[in-house]
Amino acid sequence: MPADLSFEQAPPISVPLRFFLSAPIFGVVAGALLSWWGADVVTSRWLGETLALTHLLVAGFMLQAMTGALFQFLPVAAGCNIARPMLVAATVHPLLAAAALLLPLGLAGGIAIALRVAAALFLFAVAIVVVATGRALLRTPAQGATVLALRLAVGGLAITVLLGTALADGLAGHRSWPLVDLTSIHVAWGLGGWALVLLAGVSYFVVPMFQLTPPYPPRFARWLPLLLLAVLLVWSLQLIVPIPQQLVLICGMALAGAFSATTLWLQQRRRRRIRDPVFWFFRLAMSCLLAAALLAAGVALLPALHDEASVAWILGVLLIPGVFVSAINGMLYKIVPFISWLHLQRLALPGTPVPNILDLLPGSAMRAQMILHLLAMVLLLMSAVWPSIVTLAGVAFATSSAWLGVNLSRAVWRYVRARGRIGASERGR
Amino acid sequence: MRRVIDGRDLLPPEPLELTLAALDQLTEGDDLLLLLNCRPAPLFGILRRHGYFWDECAQGDGSFEITIRKGIVGEQ
Repeated sequence: MPADLSFEQAPPISVPLRFFLSAPIFGVVAGALLSWWGADVVTSRWLGETLALTHLLVAGFMLQAMTGALFQFLPVAAGCNIARPMLVAATVHPLLAAAALLLPLGLAGGIAIALRVAAALFLFAVAIVVVATGRALLRTPAQGATVLALRLAVGGLAITVLLGTALADGLAGHRSWPLVDLTSIHVAWGLGGWALVLLAGVSYFVVPMFQLTPPYPPRFARWLPLLLLAVLLVWSLQLIVPIPQQLVLICGMALAGAFSATTLWLQQRRRRRIRDPVFWFFRLAMSCLLAAALLAAGVALLPALHDEASVAWILGVLLIPGVFVSAINGMLYKIVPFISWLHLQRLALPGTPVPNILDLLPGSAMRAQMILHLLAMVLLLMSAVWPSIVTLAGVAFATSSAWLGVNLSRAVWRYVRARGRIGASERGR
Repeated sequence: MRRVIDGRDLLPPEPLELTLAALDQLTEGDDLLLLLNCRPAPLFGILRRHGYFWDECAQGDGSFEITIRKGIVGEQ
């Protein structure tokens, strides 16, 4: 049964919007830098520039959007709200944004002070997010797979940032950590424990609601995040004892593949033939996840592929722009006009006209940007074979991100104008 | 007179849009029956604010039936 849509407890609209409007900026910067740096970044995942681009997307684009979604989603899906959301958002948003710009600077330029300051800012800002959202999630009487996934995702975020801080400390030359092992654990917690578990928890709620699919099978929905957690815990043991890495990796990829296959199967069984941009963005995200899971499992079985730079590039492109940027892009197109419309409905008296959702964000604008995002994805994947294409791929990705930002900003601008009209009409009565 | 809106196969916020349009035409003594897949808390806030009354009934299949009527002056 879908959870209650407890919108009455939702935070002021400015709380999530500041995160949602900032996210595309990091995509623009990442695309522009990719274009500027060119083919070298395809040659190794360990180059400072490659790490910088990765973190612009995961700690910039994704973390901004996912933090905003968490703030908006808690009352909706878990029936709880964070305390003093305006204060928390006003504190956390600039800290996360500054950290997400400083970290790539430190990584690409090898600037130790930028790494240390970025790590400290992330640690402080994420601690606030984890305490604020964790407190609300532990106190809510709501149960169910979405709440469980949200709780685990917040824990995953905390572990990711703690590991990232240790890595930044090591890269800044302070301690001699086992950087390669620590990096693979950091990546697993960041993409699996935080991002994928949050995506699963949000999907349990929004896929049936917005795509009119049957609900996720309850046992699958409940066990998926728990099994992912178990895999991540075993994966993390490699720091202290030898583990069967191939087997653990294949288990993790099997779970990710099962989630994507289930979502694609549910989409096929939707009750209406909806084919809006949100549907296509989700379909793209889940197809990329399935492809990444198969490829990663293949790499685990064929060690000869393990050190292939092009394989690492394809996996990175499939997982980060392919899965998470696509899913977030689609969700932003659903959430931003939807919450704007709901806020207008709450403000308006009966009989006062309120623009409908497609007036706030027309389908044509979303579809055009979606095609550009798809083109950017194709070019990014082709860069694995023809690295010189990466310059064009960067331009396409930056333009797509900018277009997303423009579309969202226009929707918010239309909301602000409509709110002004409603206010004037109420005063005139 | 009773009007029925079956929002179970409609994409959000279509059920809410149809309901708000129907509320404008609802007169005292009429009621509006909504069939939905989720409990529409945003609608309840709007109904409360504008003086409508409602009953909700959870169905065995997880859907909800919401019956809305217009408030009579002086009724609480």
